Amino acid sequence: MTGAIPSIALVGNPNAGKSSLFNALTGARQKIANYPGVTVERKAGHASFADGRPISLIDLPGTYSLTPASLDEAVTRDVVLGKQAGEARPDALIVVVDAANLDNHLCFALELLALGLPTVVALNMLDLATRDGLTLDPERLSRELGVPVVPTVAVRKRGLTELLEAVDGAIATHQPRAAVAPPPNDASLHQRARAIARAATVDETPVRRWTQRVDSVVLHPVAGLVILLALMFVMFQAVYAAAEAPADFLESGIGVLQGWVVDVLPDGFLRGLIVEGLLAGVGAVIVFLPQILILFLFILLLEASGYMTRAAFLMDGLMGKVGLSGRGFIPLLSSFACAVPGIMATRSIPDEKDRLTTILIAPLMTCSARMPVYTLVIGAFIPARGVGGSPVGLQGLVLFGLFLSGIVGALLVAWALRRSVTKGNAAGFMMEMPRYQWPRLNDIAIALWQRAWIFLRRAGTIIAMTTVVLWLLLSFPKAPADSDVRQVDYSVAGHIASGLEAVVKPIGFNHDIALALIPAMAAREVAVSALATANAIDAGDDEEAVAMSLGERLQGRWSLATALAFLAWFVFAPQCISTIAITRRETNGWKWPLFMVGYLFALAYAAAGITYWTAVAFGLG
Amino acid sequence: MIAKLDSSPLGIAVRIARIDWNAMSQDEGRRLREFGLLEGCEITPRHRGSIFSRDPLALTIGRMQVIIRARQAAAIEVEPAA
Repeated sequence: MTGAIPSIALVGNPNAGKSSLFNALTGARQKIANYPGVTVERKAGHASFADGRPISLIDLPGTYSLTPASLDEAVTRDVVLGKQAGEARPDALIVVVDAANLDNHLCFALELLALGLPTVVALNMLDLATRDGLTLDPERLSRELGVPVVPTVAVRKRGLTELLEAVDGAIATHQPRAAVAPPPNDASLHQRARAIARAATVDETPVRRWTQRVDSVVLHPVAGLVILLALMFVMFQAVYAAAEAPADFLESGIGVLQGWVVDVLPDGFLRGLIVEGLLAGVGAVIVFLPQILILFLFILLLEASGYMTRAAFLMDGLMGKVGLSGRGFIPLLSSFACAVPGIMATRSIPDEKDRLTTILIAPLMTCSARMPVYTLVIGAFIPARGVGGSPVGLQGLVLFGLFLSGIVGALLVAWALRRSVTKGNAAGFMMEMPRYQWPRLNDIAIALWQRAWIFLRRAGTIIAMTTVVLWLLLSFPKAPADSDVRQVDYSVAGHIASGLEAVVKPIGFNHDIALALIPAMAAREVAVSALATANAIDAGDDEEAVAMSLGERLQGRWSLATALAFLAWFVFAPQCISTIAITRRETNGWKWPLFMVGYLFALAYAAAGITYWTAVAFGLG
Repeated sequence: MIAKLDSSPLGIAVRIARIDWNAMSQDEGRRLREFGLLEGCEITPRHRGSIFSRDPLALTIGRMQVIIRARQAAAIEVEPAA
């Protein structure tokens, strides 16, 4: 070994518990980036041997073999073969196998062993195997495979020290061996894997009845769908109810901060910039962090418990009808949090046309950035009462309706696209269904923290910058003191908005909204901070107006029809630079992102228009 | 006694007699083999679709449960397990 820090790659099948093991080994010391040139997530972290020597670990995407079927599987192959640009070949491999599924996981393990790198096998999730009635002999397995085998239970941090010790030993004692020819075909590879698994199995009770009993309900053609719908309904109600207290807390915290700045800084440009620009704008977005985290928490829990694949199974029939596959369900569900990771998750869809269609409709899923907009407008215009005296809140119901409009819109668009621009073969759907397991608190916490960080960083950079620029555009030139023209209308931004207003007036949008739509191209939630910034300036020194919440102020300026049209607009409008950028990257060009932006704006305009005209016809204008 | 997997009754173990690899793409065929769906192995169809459609099919193979589409299942001929 040279003095360099050894790099060790974790590799194995999907559902082998690789990520949990990676989390257990590295703790929160992780770095997530992309492999250069490709949009596959690179997860790296640090750990150390027992004597303190540092090692670097990378977690490779799960795959079944070294013959890739998708982009991320290709990365796994290229890294272990040392062909990935910008990534040195790992010094050693930790092959992670599910102790309860050796028959299958040993196939890939054998293929990896044949590469001739120093290798240790982690016999992972041994506790679950025991629960399923399996007794295994790790030493026998080690003799059969010719490499160290270490039993691990990632969630209880069992076997980690032994695992790294074995890796250390494997690197130290490694004799470069010629790559062994793997078995000539799939059948003999499977035969060999099964023979080894059988040899290493001491005792086995037939099947896991527990998972099957749960599945007979959860995958029931009717009951399963009812459960899925109920879960999603609870999820969206929780996003509303549980986030209220922490959101109020954040809001008052920002108020305190604004008060403090007002006290220490003299009145002037800087104070205005900080209080009315930066704090009002960024604060209006930060307030929605609790909701975003609750949404992510649900998605992470559903994923970690193994339910998500069941949901994909149930939805495949419906998605198949519009030319998609159940595989698209997971990216689309992730898009409810944010379309960017959702679009990135489409890499696991092998069929190109299926994948492209899923990317194009992903922005129709109601992402968390819309939540600030929805929450503000719903809170201001929809009364907070139960529907017909029931505990189901009207506000939550409207929110549910908005989510549903996005989903129905997406299905219709997919149907149309698959018959026109993305015509192709019927998509396939082949997936492994993981066992049910209790989500690991630690894994959920790490993933949640990573999401929160991404959101906060966005708030701290893109959003802070756009709100400050907007504040400047709104504040200058200054309206003369004796003018009866509002400052907002007098400013540069006011003049730009006046041009846009002519276009959006027919669909019920006023000058305020036109003004908010411009910076909201950067990110939807900026619409809220733009409204907040514009209103903070507009309120000026009128203390009563400043004290009034943004929602109350909007009530006085918008009709209900306008508010509803504004909501309908945001179901469709592609107002997110990040989504457009990621689509360009994932589709290798400008053609598809431009197509996406075009069709979504057209839909947004139509939807807002129809909503407005209908509402006006019902006398809500 | 040979039947197609897409019409086999749920919950009854069957043995794969023949797979028509030409009826599916190369990638699909390889993924089937990676799941361990090979001639001679025993599987049990478990669940089929939802009210939307009779697609897809979930089946157990060894200690694993996998999902395939009816189109692929139609290319798999099965016989009663011994």
